Amino acid sequence: MNAKILVFLLFTAATSMFASCQISAQGQSDPWTAQQLLAPADLAKVLNDPKAPQPTVYCIGMDAIIKGSVDVGPAMMPENLNILKQKISKLPKNASIVVYCGCCPFSRCPNIRPAMNLLKDMQFTNYKLLNLPQNVKVDWMDKGYPMSE
Amino acid sequence: MRTLILLAFLIMSGSTVLTLSAQTTGLEPGNKAPEIKLPTLKGDTIGLSSLKGKLVLIDFWGTWCSPCVEEQSELAKLYAKYKQLDYTNGKGFEIYGVSLDSKKPNWENFVTKNKINWIQVSDLKFWRSPVAKTYNIQGLPFNVLIDGRGIILAKNVHGADLEKEIERNRLNKK
Repeated sequence: MNAKILVFLLFTAATSMFASCQISAQGQSDPWTAQQLLAPADLAKVLNDPKAPQPTVYCIGMDAIIKGSVDVGPAMMPENLNILKQKISKLPKNASIVVYCGCCPFSRCPNIRPAMNLLKDMQFTNYKLLNLPQNVKVDWMDKGYPMSE
Repeated sequence: MRTLILLAFLIMSGSTVLTLSAQTTGLEPGNKAPEIKLPTLKGDTIGLSSLKGKLVLIDFWGTWCSPCVEEQSELAKLYAKYKQLDYTNGKGFEIYGVSLDSKKPNWENFVTKNKINWIQVSDLKFWRSPVAKTYNIQGLPFNVLIDGRGIILAKNVHGADLEKEIERNRLNKK
């Protein structure tokens, strides 16, 4: 009987530990939802279509290599985050905004979280993070998507 | 007799093919590493081929890449330890650091502050650097170890594995 209770307790503890690990791995308090991730192919299609409504695209990383994007600089630095703040404060809250970095995999990127947090805090309603899970070379350049000069 | 001549011919052709394949430029161990010629912080250009005769670690990195930055102190230890030693196909060990930074002050400040004393080159083109394409770099950190003939011995080896690879190529081990 005691052994059964022990097994049950161990099972319960293991299950709850696993569940909490899952939650923290998912969460990691990433300030974006799956719906806010914009596929590179979708942005490339829009950028290649002059008749399509164009979003404002901000590079919050090292180099604005995507066609038409505005160079803000690494958003991990408060002065650059402030530049982004100044730029977007001129836009309506429902403006279509895309931000990207692409230096490193999302898990290591120091720039995307401060930028996405800022957009959230400023209550923008239509902003996306360009989904470059590996980096901007692999997920954008190597695919032949449009580049800045 | 004819058979012997034919056999000798086949052996000679085979060895020529093997030699040629070892000299083919490519990115796999056994290939000749593609040439890189980029400016240093002072503005002069150093070619990878100018390091012929030495065991060379080509270290692709950037100040914006946190694992690369962490690795620099490990490289400093390896450089101090192995710089003067002899290798199977090389005399001395050199590091050819290729920075994928886009802004010179970031690169320069890091190199100065951390007293990096091995070769540093960059075209300051971030992921647009042609070397990223030539070496098919998918992410940083990335490195390639080449021998004194410019032949690739290993790629993307880090930490203890990197040191093991250097040791494996050492001569006169005690």
